[in-house]
Amino acid sequence: MNVIETTKLTKYYGKSRGIVDVDMTVTEGEIYGFIGPNGAGKSTTIRTLLGLIHPTSGSATIFGKDVTTSGPAIREEVGYLPSEVFYYDDMRVIDLLRYSASFYKKDRKAIEQRIKHLAELFDLDLKKKIDDLSYGNKKKVGIIQGLAHEPKLIILDEPTGGLDPLIQQQFFHLLKEENEKGATILFSSHILSEVQKLCDRVAIIKDGSIIKVEQIKTLLENSTKRFKLELVNMPDASAFAIEGVSDLALVNHSVSFLYRGRINEITKMLAGQDLIDFLVEEPDLEEIFMHYYQKEDVQ
Amino acid sequence: MNIYLREMKAHRTGLIWWCVGMVGLVASGMAKYDAYQGAGVSIEELFATVPKGVMVIFGMTGFDLTKASGFYGVLFLYIALMAAIHAALLGSHLISKEERDRTSEFLYAKPVSRSSALTSKLLAGLTMVVILNIATLLSSFYFVDFFGKGESITADILILMAGLFLLQLIFFTIGTVAAGVVRRPKAAPSIATSFVYLALLVSYLVNMNENLDFLKYLSPFKYFDAAILMADGRLDPVYVALSVVIVVLAVFGTYRFYSARDLTV
Repeated sequence: MNVIETTKLTKYYGKSRGIVDVDMTVTEGEIYGFIGPNGAGKSTTIRTLLGLIHPTSGSATIFGKDVTTSGPAIREEVGYLPSEVFYYDDMRVIDLLRYSASFYKKDRKAIEQRIKHLAELFDLDLKKKIDDLSYGNKKKVGIIQGLAHEPKLIILDEPTGGLDPLIQQQFFHLLKEENEKGATILFSSHILSEVQKLCDRVAIIKDGSIIKVEQIKTLLENSTKRFKLELVNMPDASAFAIEGVSDLALVNHSVSFLYRGRINEITKMLAGQDLIDFLVEEPDLEEIFMHYYQKEDVQ
Repeated sequence: MNIYLREMKAHRTGLIWWCVGMVGLVASGMAKYDAYQGAGVSIEELFATVPKGVMVIFGMTGFDLTKASGFYGVLFLYIALMAAIHAALLGSHLISKEERDRTSEFLYAKPVSRSSALTSKLLAGLTMVVILNIATLLSSFYFVDFFGKGESITADILILMAGLFLLQLIFFTIGTVAAGVVRRPKAAPSIATSFVYLALLVSYLVNMNENLDFLKYLSPFKYFDAAILMADGRLDPVYVALSVVIVVLAVFGTYRFYSARDLTV
Protein backbone atom coordinates (compact mmCIF):
# COMPACT_ATOMS: atom_id res chain seq x y z
CA MET A 1 0.00 0.00 0.00
CA ASN A 2 1.22 3.49 -0.85
CA VAL A 3 1.20 5.84 2.10
CA ILE A 4 2.25 8.88 0.09
CA GLU A 5 1.59 9.26 -3.58
CA THR A 6 2.10 12.41 -5.60
CA THR A 7 1.33 12.86 -9.27
CA LYS A 8 2.91 15.73 -11.18
CA LEU A 9 2.79 17.78 -8.00
CA THR A 10 3.76 21.34 -8.86
CA LYS A 11 4.06 24.47 -6.79
CA TYR A 12 4.99 27.93 -7.98
CA TYR A 13 5.28 30.91 -5.63
CA GLY A 14 4.10 33.54 -8.06
CA LYS A 15 6.59 33.16 -10.87
CA SER A 16 9.32 31.49 -8.84
CA ARG A 17 9.66 27.74 -8.97
CA GLY A 18 8.97 25.61 -5.91
CA ILE A 19 8.56 22.08 -7.28
CA VAL A 20 7.73 20.85 -10.77
CA ASP A 21 5.95 17.59 -11.68
CA VAL A 22 7.04 15.69 -8.59
CA ASP A 23 6.02 12.03 -8.76
CA MET A 24 6.73 10.28 -5.50
CA THR A 25 5.53 7.02 -4.02
CA VAL A 26 6.27 6.06 -0.43
CA THR A 27 5.10 2.60 0.50
CA GLU A 28 3.84 1.48 3.89
CA GLY A 29 6.57 0.66 6.38
CA GLU A 30 9.52 2.07 4.47
CA ILE A 31 11.95 4.78 5.46
CA TYR A 32 12.09 7.01 2.46
CA GLY A 33 14.92 9.48 2.14
CA PHE A 34 14.37 12.76 0.40
CA ILE A 35 17.65 14.38 -0.39
CA GLY A 36 18.69 17.52 -2.18
CA PRO A 37 20.55 20.77 -1.62
CA ASN A 38 18.92 23.75 0.06
CA GLY A 39 16.29 25.33 -2.16
CA ALA A 40 15.79 22.14 -4.19
CA GLY A 41 12.14 21.83 -3.14
CA LYS A 42 12.18 19.38 -0.21
CA SER A 43 10.35 21.66 2.22
CA THR A 44 7.93 22.82 -0.47
CA THR A 45 6.98 19.20 -1.17
CA ILE A 46 6.52 18.46 2.54
CA ARG A 47 4.53 21.63 3.24
CA THR A 48 2.27 20.85 0.31
CA LEU A 49 1.71 17.34 1.68
CA LEU A 50 0.80 18.84 5.05
CA GLY A 51 -1.60 21.39 3.55
CA LEU A 52 0.41 24.39 4.78
CA ILE A 53 0.66 25.56 1.19
CA HIS A 54 -1.58 24.75 -1.75
CA PRO A 55 -0.33 23.04 -4.91
CA THR A 56 -0.41 24.94 -8.18
CA SER A 57 -1.22 21.75 -10.07
CA GLY A 58 -0.98 17.99 -9.75
CA SER A 59 -2.23 15.92 -6.86
CA ALA A 60 -1.06 14.28 -3.67
CA THR A 61 -2.61 11.67 -1.45
CA ILE A 62 -1.67 10.36 1.98
CA PHE A 63 -3.31 7.13 3.17
CA GLY A 64 -5.27 7.34 -0.09
CA LYS A 65 -6.85 10.67 0.89
CA ASP A 66 -6.39 13.90 -1.02
CA VAL A 67 -4.18 16.32 0.93
CA THR A 68 -6.15 19.35 -0.22
CA THR A 69 -9.55 18.09 0.94
CA SER A 70 -8.83 15.67 3.80
CA GLY A 71 -6.06 17.52 5.63
CA PRO A 72 -7.30 17.14 9.25
CA ALA A 73 -8.15 13.43 8.84
CA ILE A 74 -4.71 12.76 7.30
CA ARG A 75 -2.83 14.73 9.94
CA GLU A 76 -4.52 12.71 12.70
CA GLU A 77 -2.02 9.98 11.78
CA VAL A 78 0.94 12.17 10.86
CA GLY A 79 3.79 13.35 13.06
CA TYR A 80 5.87 16.23 11.72
CA LEU A 81 9.18 17.71 12.75
CA PRO A 82 10.31 20.73 10.72
CA SER A 83 13.89 21.87 10.24
CA GLU A 84 13.40 24.93 12.43
CA VAL A 85 11.11 24.74 15.42
CA PHE A 86 9.07 27.64 16.79
CA TYR A 87 6.67 27.31 19.69
CA TYR A 88 4.74 29.59 22.01
CA ASP A 89 7.43 31.17 24.15
CA ASP A 90 5.10 31.90 27.07
CA MET A 91 4.21 28.22 27.55
CA ARG A 92 5.94 25.60 29.65
CA VAL A 93 7.16 22.53 27.78
CA ILE A 94 4.52 20.27 29.34
CA ASP A 95 1.74 22.73 28.51
CA LEU A 96 2.91 22.93 24.90
CA LEU A 97 3.02 19.14 24.64
CA ARG A 98 -0.43 18.81 26.23
CA TYR A 99 -1.73 21.46 23.85
CA SER A 100 -0.25 19.46 20.99
CA ALA A 101 -1.82 16.24 22.33
CA SER A 102 -5.22 17.93 22.64
CA PHE A 103 -5.59 17.98 18.86
CA TYR A 104 -5.57 14.20 18.54
CA LYS A 105 -8.50 11.86 19.10
CA LYS A 106 -6.23 9.20 20.61
CA ASP A 107 -6.27 8.26 24.28
CA ARG A 108 -4.93 11.30 26.13
CA LYS A 109 -3.48 9.22 28.98
CA ALA A 110 -1.45 7.10 26.58
CA ILE A 111 -0.06 10.22 24.91
CA GLU A 112 0.74 11.75 28.30
CA GLN A 113 2.65 8.62 29.32
CA ARG A 114 4.58 8.62 26.08
CA ILE A 115 5.43 12.30 26.52
CA LYS A 116 6.96 11.46 29.90
CA HIS A 117 8.81 8.47 28.48
CA LEU A 118 10.27 10.47 25.59
CA ALA A 119 11.17 13.39 27.88
CA GLU A 120 13.14 10.98 30.05
CA LEU A 121 14.80 9.44 27.03
CA PHE A 122 15.94 12.83 25.75
CA ASP A 123 16.58 14.25 29.21
CA LEU A 124 14.16 17.15 28.72
CA ASP A 125 12.84 19.19 31.65
CA LEU A 126 9.07 19.42 31.10
CA LYS A 127 8.61 22.21 33.61
CA LYS A 128 10.83 24.72 31.82
CA LYS A 129 9.42 27.59 29.82
CA ILE A 130 9.87 27.27 26.07
CA ASP A 131 11.55 30.67 26.01
CA ASP A 132 14.27 29.43 28.40
CA LEU A 133 15.22 26.40 26.27
CA SER A 134 18.34 26.13 24.12
CA TYR A 135 17.76 25.46 20.43
CA GLY A 136 18.74 21.82 20.87
CA ASN A 137 16.18 21.39 23.65
CA LYS A 138 13.49 23.07 21.55
CA LYS A 139 14.30 20.50 18.90
CA LYS A 140 13.72 17.76 21.48
CA VAL A 141 10.31 19.30 22.18
CA GLY A 142 9.75 19.08 18.43
CA ILE A 143 10.60 15.39 18.38
CA ILE A 144 8.25 14.65 21.29
CA GLN A 145 5.31 16.65 19.89
CA GLY A 146 5.81 14.88 16.57
CA LEU A 147 6.00 11.34 17.94
CA ALA A 148 3.94 11.37 21.14
CA HIS A 149 0.72 10.27 19.42
CA GLU A 150 2.47 7.33 17.71
CA PRO A 151 1.69 8.42 14.15
CA LYS A 152 1.51 6.00 11.26
CA LEU A 153 3.46 8.44 9.09
CA ILE A 154 6.40 10.46 10.39
CA ILE A 155 7.53 13.37 8.23
CA LEU A 156 10.91 14.85 9.09
CA ASP A 157 12.28 17.90 7.33
CA GLU A 158 16.01 18.17 7.98
CA PRO A 159 15.38 17.20 11.58
CA THR A 160 18.89 16.82 12.98
CA GLY A 161 20.04 20.46 12.98
CA GLY A 162 20.73 21.57 16.54
CA LEU A 163 20.88 18.03 17.94
CA ASP A 164 24.21 16.89 19.38
CA PRO A 165 25.61 13.57 18.06
CA LEU A 166 24.47 11.54 21.07
CA ILE A 167 20.90 12.82 20.84
CA GLN A 168 20.99 12.31 17.07
CA GLN A 169 21.90 8.67 17.67
CA GLN A 170 19.05 8.25 20.18
CA PHE A 171 16.70 9.95 17.77
CA PHE A 172 17.68 7.65 14.91
CA HIS A 173 17.31 4.65 17.22
CA LEU A 174 13.83 5.86 18.17
CA LEU A 175 12.90 6.30 14.51
CA LYS A 176 14.03 2.76 13.74
CA GLU A 177 11.90 1.50 16.64
CA GLU A 178 8.88 3.39 15.33
CA ASN A 179 9.55 1.96 11.88
CA GLU A 180 9.74 -1.57 13.28
CA LYS A 181 6.37 -0.95 14.94
CA GLY A 182 4.97 -0.14 11.50
CA ALA A 183 5.43 3.59 11.02
CA THR A 184 6.33 4.88 7.57
CA ILE A 185 8.96 7.62 7.56
CA LEU A 186 9.67 10.39 5.07
CA PHE A 187 13.09 11.76 5.93
CA SER A 188 14.28 14.88 4.19
CA SER A 189 17.91 15.93 4.46
CA HIS A 190 20.77 17.54 2.63
CA ILE A 191 23.26 15.29 4.45
CA LEU A 192 23.89 12.10 2.53
CA SER A 193 25.34 10.15 5.48
CA GLU A 194 22.16 10.68 7.55
CA VAL A 195 20.03 9.28 4.78
CA GLN A 196 22.46 6.39 4.28
CA LYS A 197 22.21 5.45 7.96
CA LEU A 198 18.46 5.37 8.09
CA CYS A 199 16.71 4.98 4.78
CA ASP A 200 15.68 2.10 2.56
CA ARG A 201 15.11 4.16 -0.54
CA VAL A 202 16.02 7.67 -1.49
CA ALA A 203 14.69 10.26 -3.89
CA ILE A 204 17.11 12.91 -5.09
CA ILE A 205 15.57 16.28 -5.81
CA LYS A 206 17.28 19.03 -7.71
CA ASP A 207 15.88 22.36 -8.93
CA GLY A 208 12.37 21.34 -7.94
CA SER A 209 12.32 18.00 -9.74
CA ILE A 210 13.06 14.48 -8.61
CA ILE A 211 15.95 13.34 -10.77
CA LYS A 212 16.48 9.88 -9.35
CA VAL A 213 14.93 7.37 -6.97
CA GLU A 214 17.37 4.71 -5.80
CA GLN A 215 17.62 1.91 -3.29
CA ILE A 216 20.09 3.18 -0.70
CA LYS A 217 22.20 0.06 -1.37
CA THR A 218 22.64 1.04 -5.00
CA LEU A 219 23.47 4.58 -4.05
CA LEU A 220 26.14 3.37 -1.65
CA GLU A 221 27.69 1.12 -4.27
CA ASN A 222 27.86 4.02 -6.66
CA SER A 223 28.70 6.69 -4.15
CA THR A 224 31.54 9.03 -4.85
CA LYS A 225 34.15 9.92 -2.20
CA ARG A 226 36.53 12.82 -2.17
CA PHE A 227 40.12 11.91 -1.35
CA LYS A 228 42.65 14.48 -0.16
CA LEU A 229 46.28 13.34 0.13
CA GLU A 230 49.38 15.00 1.47
CA LEU A 231 52.50 13.34 0.03
CA VAL A 232 56.19 13.40 0.98
CA ASN A 233 57.26 13.60 -2.67
CA MET A 234 55.87 15.57 -5.56
CA PRO A 235 52.92 13.55 -6.85
CA ASP A 236 52.98 11.76 -10.16
CA ALA A 237 49.69 12.24 -12.03
CA SER A 238 50.01 8.92 -13.84
CA ALA A 239 49.69 7.02 -10.54
CA PHE A 240 46.13 8.38 -10.23
CA ALA A 241 45.08 7.48 -13.73
CA ILE A 242 42.81 4.65 -12.61
CA GLU A 243 39.20 4.02 -13.48
CA GLY A 244 36.73 5.92 -11.32
CA VAL A 245 39.00 8.88 -10.52
CA SER A 246 37.79 12.29 -11.59
CA ASP A 247 38.26 15.94 -10.74
CA LEU A 248 41.97 15.31 -10.10
CA ALA A 249 43.93 18.29 -8.79
CA LEU A 250 47.65 18.26 -7.97
CA VAL A 251 48.99 21.29 -6.11
CA ASN A 252 52.56 21.04 -4.77
CA HIS A 253 52.53 18.01 -2.46
CA SER A 254 48.75 17.84 -2.24
CA VAL A 255 46.41 15.74 -4.31
CA SER A 256 42.63 15.91 -4.40
CA PHE A 257 40.25 13.78 -6.47
CA LEU A 258 36.83 12.19 -6.52
CA TYR A 259 36.59 8.40 -6.69
CA ARG A 260 33.70 6.17 -7.56
CA GLY A 261 34.19 2.42 -7.57
CA ARG A 262 35.55 -0.39 -5.45
CA ILE A 263 37.38 1.04 -2.47
CA ASN A 264 39.98 -1.77 -2.62
CA GLU A 265 41.29 -0.44 -5.92
CA ILE A 266 42.08 2.91 -4.41
CA THR A 267 43.68 1.50 -1.25
CA LYS A 268 46.03 -0.61 -3.42
CA MET A 269 47.10 2.57 -5.22
CA LEU A 270 47.47 4.44 -1.93
CA ALA A 271 49.71 1.70 -0.55
CA GLY A 272 52.28 2.66 -3.18
CA GLN A 273 52.35 6.30 -2.10
CA ASP A 274 54.54 7.86 0.58
CA LEU A 275 51.77 9.56 2.56
CA ILE A 276 52.01 12.23 5.24
CA ASP A 277 48.26 12.45 5.68
CA PHE A 278 45.07 11.55 3.92
CA LEU A 279 41.42 12.37 4.25
CA VAL A 280 38.36 10.69 2.80
CA GLU A 281 35.18 12.66 2.87
CA GLU A 282 31.77 12.61 1.34
CA PRO A 283 31.44 15.00 -1.51
CA ASP A 284 28.76 17.60 -1.02
CA LEU A 285 25.54 17.12 -2.89
CA GLU A 286 26.48 19.50 -5.62
CA GLU A 287 29.49 17.29 -6.38
CA ILE A 288 27.27 14.21 -6.46
CA PHE A 289 24.99 15.94 -8.91
CA MET A 290 27.97 17.06 -10.98
CA HIS A 291 29.60 13.67 -11.17
CA TYR A 292 27.25 10.88 -10.21
CA TYR A 293 24.34 12.23 -12.22
CA GLN A 294 26.24 13.77 -15.09
CA LYS A 295 24.79 11.25 -17.50
CA GLU A 296 21.22 11.63 -16.29
CA ASP A 297 21.48 15.40 -16.56
CA VAL A 298 22.78 15.19 -20.10
CA GLN A 299 19.95 12.86 -21.02
CA MET B 1 -12.06 24.43 22.35
CA ASN B 2 -8.31 23.93 22.89
CA ILE B 3 -7.43 26.82 20.56
CA TYR B 4 -10.13 28.98 22.18
CA LEU B 5 -8.70 28.37 25.66
CA ARG B 6 -5.15 28.88 24.40
CA GLU B 7 -6.08 32.26 22.91
CA MET B 8 -7.95 33.35 26.04
CA LYS B 9 -4.92 32.50 28.14
CA ALA B 10 -2.45 34.12 25.77
CA HIS B 11 -4.44 37.38 25.67
CA ARG B 12 -5.41 37.42 29.35
CA THR B 13 -2.83 39.94 30.56
CA GLY B 14 -3.33 42.22 27.58
CA LEU B 15 -7.08 42.19 28.06
CA ILE B 16 -6.76 43.04 31.75
CA TRP B 17 -4.66 46.10 30.84
CA TRP B 18 -7.13 47.20 28.18
CA CYS B 19 -9.95 46.91 30.77
CA VAL B 20 -7.90 48.86 33.32
CA GLY B 21 -7.23 51.50 30.66
CA MET B 22 -10.90 51.72 29.76
CA VAL B 23 -12.04 51.99 33.38
CA GLY B 24 -9.34 54.65 33.87
CA LEU B 25 -10.60 56.59 30.84
CA VAL B 26 -14.20 56.56 32.10
CA ALA B 27 -13.13 57.42 35.66
CA SER B 28 -10.80 60.26 34.68
CA GLY B 29 -13.27 61.60 32.11
CA MET B 30 -16.13 61.75 34.58
CA ALA B 31 -13.81 63.11 37.29
CA LYS B 32 -13.20 66.11 35.01
CA TYR B 33 -16.95 66.72 34.95
CA ASP B 34 -16.89 66.75 38.73
CA ALA B 35 -13.89 69.11 38.73
CA TYR B 36 -15.58 71.56 36.36
CA GLN B 37 -18.72 71.47 38.48
CA GLY B 38 -16.74 72.33 41.56
CA ALA B 39 -14.65 75.06 39.90
CA GLY B 40 -17.25 77.74 40.46
CA VAL B 41 -17.48 78.47 36.74
CA SER B 42 -20.31 77.00 34.72
CA ILE B 43 -19.30 74.37 32.21
CA GLU B 44 -21.22 76.25 29.53
CA GLU B 45 -19.04 79.31 30.09
CA LEU B 46 -15.95 77.12 30.02
CA PHE B 47 -16.83 75.53 26.70
CA ALA B 48 -17.92 78.88 25.27
CA THR B 49 -14.19 79.68 25.07
CA VAL B 50 -13.63 76.67 22.78
CA PRO B 51 -13.93 77.61 19.08
CA LYS B 52 -17.17 76.33 17.57
CA GLY B 53 -15.30 74.60 14.74
CA VAL B 54 -13.31 72.54 17.22
CA MET B 55 -16.50 71.63 19.08
CA VAL B 56 -18.08 70.47 15.81
CA ILE B 57 -15.07 68.48 14.66
CA PHE B 58 -14.82 66.60 17.93
CA GLY B 59 -18.56 65.94 18.05
CA MET B 60 -19.01 68.01 21.20
CA THR B 61 -22.10 69.84 20.01
CA GLY B 62 -25.59 68.57 20.70
CA PHE B 63 -24.89 67.80 24.34
CA ASP B 64 -26.03 69.56 27.48
CA LEU B 65 -22.61 69.76 29.09
CA THR B 66 -24.04 70.91 32.40
CA LYS B 67 -25.36 67.38 32.88
CA ALA B 68 -23.38 64.24 33.55
CA SER B 69 -25.20 62.58 30.64
CA GLY B 70 -24.03 65.28 28.23
CA PHE B 71 -20.51 65.07 29.51
CA TYR B 72 -20.59 61.28 29.17
CA GLY B 73 -21.80 61.69 25.58
CA VAL B 74 -18.65 63.63 24.73
CA LEU B 75 -16.53 61.10 26.57
CA PHE B 76 -18.14 58.30 24.54
CA LEU B 77 -16.23 59.33 21.41
CA TYR B 78 -12.95 58.58 23.18
CA ILE B 79 -14.34 55.36 24.64
CA ALA B 80 -15.41 54.33 21.13
CA LEU B 81 -11.99 55.19 19.70
CA MET B 82 -10.20 53.14 22.35
CA ALA B 83 -12.54 50.17 21.95
CA ALA B 84 -12.22 50.33 18.15
CA ILE B 85 -8.41 50.32 18.32
CA HIS B 86 -8.52 47.37 20.73
CA ALA B 87 -10.89 45.44 18.48
CA ALA B 88 -8.89 46.07 15.30
CA LEU B 89 -5.61 45.11 16.96
CA LEU B 90 -7.17 42.04 18.57
CA GLY B 91 -8.73 40.80 15.33
CA SER B 92 -5.58 41.21 13.27
CA HIS B 93 -3.30 39.86 16.00
CA LEU B 94 -5.36 36.72 16.64
CA ILE B 95 -5.03 35.70 13.00
CA SER B 96 -1.58 36.97 12.06
CA LYS B 97 0.41 36.03 15.15
CA GLU B 98 0.78 32.35 14.24
CA GLU B 99 2.63 33.36 11.10
CA ARG B 100 4.43 36.30 12.73
CA ASP B 101 5.77 34.05 15.51
CA ARG B 102 6.24 31.19 13.04
CA THR B 103 4.04 28.85 15.10
CA SER B 104 1.72 28.28 12.12
CA GLU B 105 3.79 25.27 11.05
CA PHE B 106 3.21 23.69 14.48
CA LEU B 107 -0.49 24.51 14.63
CA TYR B 108 -1.55 23.62 11.11
CA ALA B 109 0.44 20.37 11.00
CA LYS B 110 -2.05 19.23 13.67
CA PRO B 111 -5.34 17.62 12.71
CA VAL B 112 -7.22 20.90 12.60
CA SER B 113 -8.64 22.68 9.59
CA ARG B 114 -7.94 26.35 9.10
CA SER B 115 -11.65 27.12 9.26
CA SER B 116 -12.14 25.39 12.61
CA ALA B 117 -9.02 27.09 14.00
CA LEU B 118 -10.42 30.39 12.73
CA THR B 119 -13.78 29.72 14.39
CA SER B 120 -12.06 29.16 17.74
CA LYS B 121 -10.00 32.30 17.31
CA LEU B 122 -13.03 34.38 16.30
CA LEU B 123 -14.99 33.10 19.30
CA ALA B 124 -12.08 33.94 21.61
CA GLY B 125 -11.95 37.41 20.08
CA LEU B 126 -15.69 37.84 20.46
CA THR B 127 -15.42 36.87 24.14
CA MET B 128 -12.70 39.46 24.71
CA VAL B 129 -14.67 42.15 22.88
CA VAL B 130 -17.65 41.39 25.12
CA ILE B 131 -15.48 41.50 28.26
CA LEU B 132 -14.12 44.95 27.35
CA ASN B 133 -17.64 46.11 26.57
CA ILE B 134 -18.92 44.87 29.94
CA ALA B 135 -15.98 46.52 31.73
CA THR B 136 -16.89 49.78 29.95
CA LEU B 137 -20.57 49.34 30.79
CA LEU B 138 -20.04 48.65 34.48
CA SER B 139 -17.45 51.40 34.93
CA SER B 140 -19.75 53.83 33.10
CA PHE B 141 -22.66 52.95 35.42
CA TYR B 142 -20.47 53.40 38.45
CA PHE B 143 -18.59 56.58 37.60
CA VAL B 144 -21.49 58.43 35.96
CA ASP B 145 -23.52 57.67 39.07
CA PHE B 146 -20.61 58.57 41.36
CA PHE B 147 -19.80 61.94 39.77
CA GLY B 148 -23.26 62.63 38.39
CA LYS B 149 -24.77 63.31 41.80
CA GLY B 150 -27.72 61.01 41.36
CA GLU B 151 -28.46 61.76 37.72
CA SER B 152 -29.57 58.45 36.25
CA ILE B 153 -28.67 57.77 32.61
CA THR B 154 -28.87 53.99 32.67
CA ALA B 155 -30.90 53.85 29.44
CA ASP B 156 -28.47 56.17 27.65
CA ILE B 157 -25.47 54.12 28.72
CA LEU B 158 -27.15 50.88 27.65
CA ILE B 159 -27.94 52.19 24.17
CA LEU B 160 -24.43 53.62 23.81
CA MET B 161 -22.90 50.30 24.86
CA ALA B 162 -25.06 48.47 22.33
CA GLY B 163 -23.70 50.81 19.67
CA LEU B 164 -20.19 50.37 21.03
CA PHE B 165 -20.54 46.60 20.74
CA LEU B 166 -21.47 46.83 17.06
CA LEU B 167 -18.60 49.25 16.49
CA GLN B 168 -16.22 46.81 18.19
CA LEU B 169 -17.51 43.95 16.02
CA ILE B 170 -17.00 45.98 12.86
CA PHE B 171 -13.39 46.82 13.64
CA PHE B 172 -12.66 43.37 15.07
CA THR B 173 -13.76 41.69 11.84
CA ILE B 174 -12.00 44.33 9.72
CA GLY B 175 -8.89 43.34 11.70
CA THR B 176 -9.39 39.63 11.02
CA VAL B 177 -10.02 40.08 7.30
CA ALA B 178 -7.00 42.39 7.01
CA ALA B 179 -4.86 39.67 8.60
CA GLY B 180 -6.40 37.09 6.29
CA VAL B 181 -5.59 39.10 3.18
CA VAL B 182 -2.25 40.74 4.00
CA ARG B 183 0.72 38.54 3.13
CA ARG B 184 3.11 40.14 5.61
CA PRO B 185 1.84 39.13 9.07
CA LYS B 186 3.73 41.93 10.83
CA ALA B 187 1.92 44.55 8.75
CA ALA B 188 -1.60 43.31 9.58
CA PRO B 189 -2.14 45.16 12.91
CA SER B 190 -0.99 48.53 11.54
CA ILE B 191 -3.19 48.10 8.46
CA ALA B 192 -6.16 47.20 10.70
CA THR B 193 -5.69 50.25 12.93
CA SER B 194 -5.29 52.44 9.83
CA PHE B 195 -8.94 51.65 9.10
CA VAL B 196 -9.86 52.98 12.55
CA TYR B 197 -8.00 56.25 12.01
CA LEU B 198 -9.37 56.58 8.49
CA ALA B 199 -12.93 56.09 9.77
CA LEU B 200 -12.30 58.68 12.48
CA LEU B 201 -10.94 61.13 9.91
CA VAL B 202 -14.02 60.62 7.73
CA SER B 203 -16.27 61.29 10.74
CA TYR B 204 -14.39 64.58 11.39
CA LEU B 205 -14.80 65.57 7.73
CA VAL B 206 -18.53 64.87 7.92
CA ASN B 207 -18.78 66.93 11.12
CA MET B 208 -16.93 69.84 9.48
CA ASN B 209 -18.77 70.01 6.20
CA GLU B 210 -22.47 69.31 5.73
CA ASN B 211 -21.91 68.76 2.00
CA LEU B 212 -19.93 65.66 2.87
CA ASP B 213 -22.83 64.13 4.78
CA PHE B 214 -23.04 61.22 2.32
CA LEU B 215 -19.62 60.07 3.59
CA LYS B 216 -21.19 59.18 6.94
CA TYR B 217 -21.86 55.68 5.64
CA LEU B 218 -18.11 55.14 5.30
CA SER B 219 -17.37 55.79 8.96
CA PRO B 220 -18.71 53.39 11.61
CA PHE B 221 -18.08 56.17 14.14
CA LYS B 222 -20.96 58.07 12.53
CA TYR B 223 -23.26 55.05 12.81
CA PHE B 224 -23.21 55.38 16.56
CA ASP B 225 -23.11 59.14 17.13
CA ALA B 226 -23.67 59.56 20.87
CA ALA B 227 -25.78 62.74 20.57
CA ILE B 228 -28.19 61.07 18.15
CA LEU B 229 -28.33 57.78 20.07
CA MET B 230 -29.07 59.56 23.34
CA ALA B 231 -31.68 61.81 21.72
CA ASP B 232 -33.43 58.97 19.86
CA GLY B 233 -33.03 56.38 22.61
CA ARG B 234 -32.50 53.69 19.99
CA LEU B 235 -30.07 52.51 17.33
CA ASP B 236 -30.77 53.57 13.75
CA PRO B 237 -31.97 50.37 11.94
CA VAL B 238 -30.17 51.44 8.73
CA TYR B 239 -26.85 51.66 10.53
CA VAL B 240 -27.49 48.41 12.41
CA ALA B 241 -28.21 46.67 9.11
CA LEU B 242 -25.11 48.22 7.55
CA SER B 243 -23.02 47.07 10.53
CA VAL B 244 -24.34 43.53 10.22
CA VAL B 245 -23.56 43.49 6.49
CA ILE B 246 -19.99 44.73 7.10
CA VAL B 247 -19.42 42.15 9.87
CA VAL B 248 -20.86 39.26 7.85
CA LEU B 249 -18.83 40.19 4.76
CA ALA B 250 -15.66 40.62 6.80
CA VAL B 251 -16.13 37.26 8.54
CA PHE B 252 -16.84 35.57 5.22
CA GLY B 253 -13.75 37.23 3.72
CA THR B 254 -11.62 36.12 6.66
CA TYR B 255 -12.56 32.46 6.16
CA ARG B 256 -12.24 32.71 2.40
CA PHE B 257 -8.84 34.41 2.24
CA TYR B 258 -7.25 32.71 5.23
CA SER B 259 -8.18 29.22 4.07
CA ALA B 260 -6.93 29.88 0.55
CA ARG B 261 -3.58 31.41 1.44
CA ASP B 262 -0.18 29.77 1.56
CA LEU B 263 0.97 30.06 5.14
CA THR B 264 4.20 31.91 5.79
CA VAL B 265 6.42 29.48 7.69
